[in-house]
Amino acid sequence: MSIKDVIVPFSAWRKVFDKPVTIKDPINERPGADRYRGFHKNDLETCIGCGTCEVICENEAIDLVPVEGIETKDGDSGLRPRVDYGRCCWCGLCVDICTTGSLSLTNAYTWVEEDPEKYRFTPGVDEKPWDNEEKGWKKPEPNYEFYNLKRVTMEHLHPEERSDSFIEMVKGYSKEQAEKEADRCVECGICTATCPAHMGIPEYIKAIRNNDLEEGLRILYDTNPLPEICGRICTHKCEAVCTIGHRGEALSIRWLKRYIADQNPSEKYKTILNSEFIEKNGKSIAIIGSGPSGLSAAHYLALMGYEVTIYEKLPHAGGMMRYGIPEYRLPYDQIDKDIDYILSLGVKILYNTTIGKDITLEELGKKYNAVFAGTGLHLGRSTRIEGSDHKNVYQSIELLRKITLGEEIDLAEKMIVIGGGNVAMDITRSIARLQMKKYGKAGVIATSLETEDKMPADREEVVEAREEGAIVDPGWAPQHIEIVDDKIKGLHVAQCHSLFDEEGNFNPQCNLDNLKFFEGTMVVESIGQGMDLSYLSDDIKHELEIDKRGRIKVNEDFQSGLPWLFIGGDIIQGPDVIHGIANGHTAAKGIDTFLFKESK
Amino acid sequence: MNELINHLKERFPIYDVVESTTGPTFVSLDAAKLIPMITSLKTNHGFKILVILSTVDWIEDGKFQLTYIINNPDEKTDLGIRIFIDRENASMESIHKLWVFAATFQREIKEMYGIDFPGSPGVDDQFLLEGWDEMPPMRRDFDTKKYSEDTFFPRPGRETNDPAEYMKQKLYPDE
Repeated sequence: MSIKDVIVPFSAWRKVFDKPVTIKDPINERPGADRYRGFHKNDLETCIGCGTCEVICENEAIDLVPVEGIETKDGDSGLRPRVDYGRCCWCGLCVDICTTGSLSLTNAYTWVEEDPEKYRFTPGVDEKPWDNEEKGWKKPEPNYEFYNLKRVTMEHLHPEERSDSFIEMVKGYSKEQAEKEADRCVECGICTATCPAHMGIPEYIKAIRNNDLEEGLRILYDTNPLPEICGRICTHKCEAVCTIGHRGEALSIRWLKRYIADQNPSEKYKTILNSEFIEKNGKSIAIIGSGPSGLSAAHYLALMGYEVTIYEKLPHAGGMMRYGIPEYRLPYDQIDKDIDYILSLGVKILYNTTIGKDITLEELGKKYNAVFAGTGLHLGRSTRIEGSDHKNVYQSIELLRKITLGEEIDLAEKMIVIGGGNVAMDITRSIARLQMKKYGKAGVIATSLETEDKMPADREEVVEAREEGAIVDPGWAPQHIEIVDDKIKGLHVAQCHSLFDEEGNFNPQCNLDNLKFFEGTMVVESIGQGMDLSYLSDDIKHELEIDKRGRIKVNEDFQSGLPWLFIGGDIIQGPDVIHGIANGHTAAKGIDTFLFKESK
Repeated sequence: MNELINHLKERFPIYDVVESTTGPTFVSLDAAKLIPMITSLKTNHGFKILVILSTVDWIEDGKFQLTYIINNPDEKTDLGIRIFIDRENASMESIHKLWVFAATFQREIKEMYGIDFPGSPGVDDQFLLEGWDEMPPMRRDFDTKKYSEDTFFPRPGRETNDPAEYMKQKLYPDE
């Protein structure tokens, strides 16, 4: 050691009276940089508790916990992320993946506590000084995304290719397209609760990503025995709550389901679904109607070992799926693919058999251990306006049935459809096609009480109807049908400005100063359907509880006041296919429980 | 900078030149040519300062990337030089003879990635990780989660819920 080494440290003392170079009072007013990754903030109203932040967190610093005052409901799990600052490394991935954009990091970075447990907190719930801090790390916009916000476009037949044909217009995804679309799913599972059948949606989408379509088919059949059908015409309520839809376009869940079903050949179904050998349990069930609820019940009952016989009034199975939905949306061979598999499980169908005429419900009750009725809504409702009893005023549901049966329907060059729902669009578009074939030109006007933005039909139905040459002119209340010399001249309408009164009852109000006349020689009413319960005898009706609106009361297993009679489908819930499927499945389990208890 | 890059191109096999208006210009180079080029840059072109030596693990390509950022204080310019070496038995020539403190960077890289710099003073000494006998922890095949599960105890009081499962319990428990 030299003498210099001893002296140098003391030389520092010379600086003791110099002006300091450090900033005075460094504790206050030292904000983090504008995009600093500091403490978490979460907008509880925007957050839906999808848990994607938890999944991406490499350090497992995030838990999802229930929060008082936040309800679990469609599209919101009711959970919110809680962060453990004992593990967080402030990488910001939770913010970058956040599907709703609710989560951010502020530029706050000082926090002193004596109790280490306090460093585990729920942002937005546990009040913090930085709750109103605007600066900090937010997901960089635009083009900084961990998944594609845009759907893979589904290809359709062009309007000119489809306007005079009933060929299926939606082409379906290719393998590459389906995998790319499936790749957008974050597997949160928020959709499952909203699906009436509670399908394993993230699981089957994952099967597509893994290119394991047999597994995908097994997942579909766990909750839905009509995947080809639902993959085409399901009302896809799941897509309305899809978490990706909060900042982008929801997953095409329906088309992905169709992809799985389309890719599996029907001859392999029994092997894939492991249904080649079913042990019979010696009990038999009758099902009335081969619509979605009846077929669903038949499928699950057959798998449980029951002998199932379906009684069908019409010459083919499928109910409204075949006789209501036009072929260009749901081709018959696809309906057959789903139904043939169910029949292969030993389910029998007696066609052209009407309950109450060919056999009574009482007889079924005696002959079988239990009966499930899913008879649907097959009666059209009339507007009852002046002129609606004319012979050239038709019910949409009757015309659609005739088209399926291959019967020729009355057609005119100018026709008017009253109604704004999907069925109205179905008949409008079917008529447009038939007119195109016969006259080379579509001439159909659809009008509804509801204005454009409130029409109950799916948006794409309205757009596509117009592409095919139909006129959709919503927001008009029908007044009367003009008839001259026993011939229809057209429909008089008045502008409709409100549908419901203050109590929320249906009570359309119109402006009689704003009138319009739609020219046409035939009118089709499509304002809703009712049930035909004429198969119920007075004795049976007496045993059932029927509410004010004419609906039969059933318990949560869809069991009616008569213990052996289960009822489901459109006459109970819906109306749509997926509720029918869910009802049929629940009823099948209910029947099993009922008979199992009975035999004890 | 353009002039310098052109000059370097004539003498050394540099490629992937990435110029930036906000940060340093980067060039890639065969590892074997690093010492001659970086020596030339230091002695003939004013790049007197070694700013940093950093590493990237390109596990998929079986390579480590070493990035040498050097600075010319007179012209206030930075230059980044990237080289790629095999991941297996990774080894690179030391630059401690050009910058003495480079030995500290190299010692840290040896510990964190397992890249050897033969001849670098103290390269095998422990740097941060006392008593470490696992795989070098910055290698991407090091399983951080497994290590922490094996080494530390879980913090009590943590519980979480799966959104889909929670919604089932709340909304449709019997179906």
